[in-house]
Amino acid sequence: MNKKIPSAPITINWTLTFRCNFSCRHCYSRVEKAEELETGQIKEIMRRVAEYKVPFINYGGGEPLLRHDLFELTAYASSLGFNVSMNTNAYLMTKEKAKLAKDSGFKTVGISIDSTKPEVHDAFRNTPGSHKRAIEAARHLGEQGVRLTVSSVICRINHGEFEDLVRQAITLGAEQISLHNYKCTGLGMTNKDELDLTPDEWMKFYMKAIEVRTNEKGIRISMDDPITASIHKAPEQPIVKGSTCGKLSLNIRANGDVTPCGFIPVVIGNLLTDDLKDIWDGSAVLERMRNKKPKEKCLSCKHYEDCLGGCTARAYAMTGDFDSPDPHCWVEK
Amino acid sequence: MVWREEEEARDEVFQAMERGEDASSEGTVLLIVSGMMHQLNILGGEIWKLLDGTRDETSIINSLLSEFDVDRETLASDVRSFLEDLQRRGWIRYE
Repeated sequence: MNKKIPSAPITINWTLTFRCNFSCRHCYSRVEKAEELETGQIKEIMRRVAEYKVPFINYGGGEPLLRHDLFELTAYASSLGFNVSMNTNAYLMTKEKAKLAKDSGFKTVGISIDSTKPEVHDAFRNTPGSHKRAIEAARHLGEQGVRLTVSSVICRINHGEFEDLVRQAITLGAEQISLHNYKCTGLGMTNKDELDLTPDEWMKFYMKAIEVRTNEKGIRISMDDPITASIHKAPEQPIVKGSTCGKLSLNIRANGDVTPCGFIPVVIGNLLTDDLKDIWDGSAVLERMRNKKPKEKCLSCKHYEDCLGGCTARAYAMTGDFDSPDPHCWVEK
Repeated sequence: MVWREEEEARDEVFQAMERGEDASSEGTVLLIVSGMMHQLNILGGEIWKLLDGTRDETSIINSLLSEFDVDRETLASDVRSFLEDLQRRGWIRYE
């Protein structure tokens, strides 16, 4: 069972736009469409969310740099006390934009880099020259003193070379590299057979990655995947177990709709009309996600108490059922 | 370092303490340090809120004596242990 859920989200993942200048093969949001909120509407939502002392806002996407008001919104959010970050493909992160990122108050900027080989990254991101631009962007941000993180979606193109990705991130001056697990949502579902790993491959990847993380002192390596609970005990008890979406974080879409996470397309409210706390405390969907029931192979699994069935988004994407075992899970019955 | 007091949890803990129940393991302050989240219990959370750079250990103990039904010696020992832990983790420093 989970411990007590915090009084409000710790992180709001905010999709300011679904528009993107890339067409990545794994993207969860390319199939999404929504009318975008205007600057004033977003500021109003920020103001109301700030009342609940949510400490972090992270812009995802769509590509945040396509919003003309990105830095204005960030300056406003920062003035309200939010710690603002974003995930970007960085193609548009010029020297001037890097300075704006610094001046508007971005605490960190995360750049997506999925391979150390430019041709592999460019093919995955479907944009020639994107690796080069990402590397240049990292340099621009570094020169401005903006803290940098690197995000890599682990999949068939890179699971064997993740140590090279770690070294590349260190070279770029990143303080963290996030090794994101592959999600079967949007194009991630369409291209799953080509890009996703088998459960056995996930196990081997995580065993190696945890070993590297333990020994690596030059950078923080983040792997937020509850199924690792079966092979690794965290030194401290986590605040919540299983998936963190709906327990520590929520997702806002471009039109203000709220979903438990970016990979679970179930709308549980809209912040133009609904109060964040009412959604957080009263959503039946969140209640279900926070109180999952084991089924199938999870029923007899000794790790269930720690992983709570693994990633709820993956289970839901494959079966339509929050309670189904995580399809990446390698543990046998 | 980012932190937030969980006010609802804090109220519930104090109510439980008034009923004579042990709620010392309940988290009342969330701390996020280097991407890791930590939880402080009621005593740790109340100490944490007092760490504003102006108080010494004696002043912290004096402030907390009115909040907790405990003798000074026990409280002083708990405060000392907690501050040592924070210092060991690099979360506070003495000037």
